[in-house]
Amino acid sequence: MLFFFGCSPVYMQMKTTTGNILDLAKFKPVFNVALYKTEVDVVGNHLSGLLLIKKMPDSSTRMVFSNEMGFTFFDFGFMADGNFKVYSVIKKMNKKAVLKTLRNDFELILMEHLDTAAVSIRINKGLIYYVFPETKGYNYYITDTTGDNLVSMERASKRKTVVQAIMKNYIKGTPDTIGISHKTFNFTIGLKRIER
Amino acid sequence: MRRMFIALLGMILGISLNAQYTGYSPVPDTAKFKTAFSAATKKIVSIKSDFVQEKNLSLLSEKIISKGRFWFKRESLVRMEYIQPFQYLMILNKDKIFIKDGQKENKISARSNKLFQQINRIMIDCMQGTAFNNPDFKARIFENKTNSLIELTPLTKGLKEMFKSINVIVDSRDFSVISIEMLELSNDNTLIRFTNKEMNAEIPDSLFIIR
Repeated sequence: MLFFFGCSPVYMQMKTTTGNILDLAKFKPVFNVALYKTEVDVVGNHLSGLLLIKKMPDSSTRMVFSNEMGFTFFDFGFMADGNFKVYSVIKKMNKKAVLKTLRNDFELILMEHLDTAAVSIRINKGLIYYVFPETKGYNYYITDTTGDNLVSMERASKRKTVVQAIMKNYIKGTPDTIGISHKTFNFTIGLKRIER
Repeated sequence: MRRMFIALLGMILGISLNAQYTGYSPVPDTAKFKTAFSAATKKIVSIKSDFVQEKNLSLLSEKIISKGRFWFKRESLVRMEYIQPFQYLMILNKDKIFIKDGQKENKISARSNKLFQQINRIMIDCMQGTAFNNPDFKARIFENKTNSLIELTPLTKGLKEMFKSINVIVDSRDFSVISIEMLELSNDNTLIRFTNKEMNAEIPDSLFIIR
């Protein structure tokens, strides 16, 4: 019994609590226009470049990833209505699974379409979990109990973390550092803001 | 009527071809140009310069500007060091590529990566005047009073998927490279302009060593 409890996933140990969704809303990143030095490690391969994130006049968010010499790997649009548009993508990345993974990863950090009506708020080991049900699994936004710090963001099934992400050092609402780490295979994305 | 239509179409195409690069007209004697280009660039042993790279994201109305230092030395040695707003080093040494990105160092064999080899070769071809020998591209040449524009259109599948064309502007006096512009299929483009050029300056081999 002890063994079972000790190994049970954190999502199973959470208890319902009360909280204020506004504590979470303040961590929604502001990307008027921001440029990030980007490092991607995927199953033993290292890729670096620049990621430009820009809020467009139609309220969509564009993300363009290019290498240092300027060649574009992808240009994605996260539309205001929740749709996702691929403006361009190199052939090697133009695979359904790759596009879906990148879309989910970036939607997790954009925090654009959080269904506040469906959120449940839980607590475990001094952390507050804002739980948003998704089509498959859940998105968890985790803060400390004071609500002053966004500890991490996670995409998970009922038991298992699939992706863990962080956003740190906000300057005027724009995070300086963003990290995305997959737990089921070796895939990490690291973003560090560049002052232009 | 049909002949008239074909003639009209030809005229329109001819006009659009000539008007493709504002201020430039097609070089009338390309063979003569190639001979002069080859002879002049053979005299270039090394180039040391600064560069400014401007990536234009047309639909986003955004520009990403980066700056750095550039070195070229015969045969087939290139070092590009990005200094602002990020640090990034790339060394091309014949068929080897070295990349230092922050703390991470990466060695790539161009032989094992054909596309990288082709891109690697563009840069070297532009500098050492062998662009017309490259079978991966079809070349067209235009000129104005001071410069020549060499338009390189990819012929191979991999490059065709990446670039519409690569345009190299050279100084008509010494055929040294003024700028290289890479036009992508999305209509975005990246322009690398070389400034403060020192031709045939002493450049130590150590700058190109890949350990």
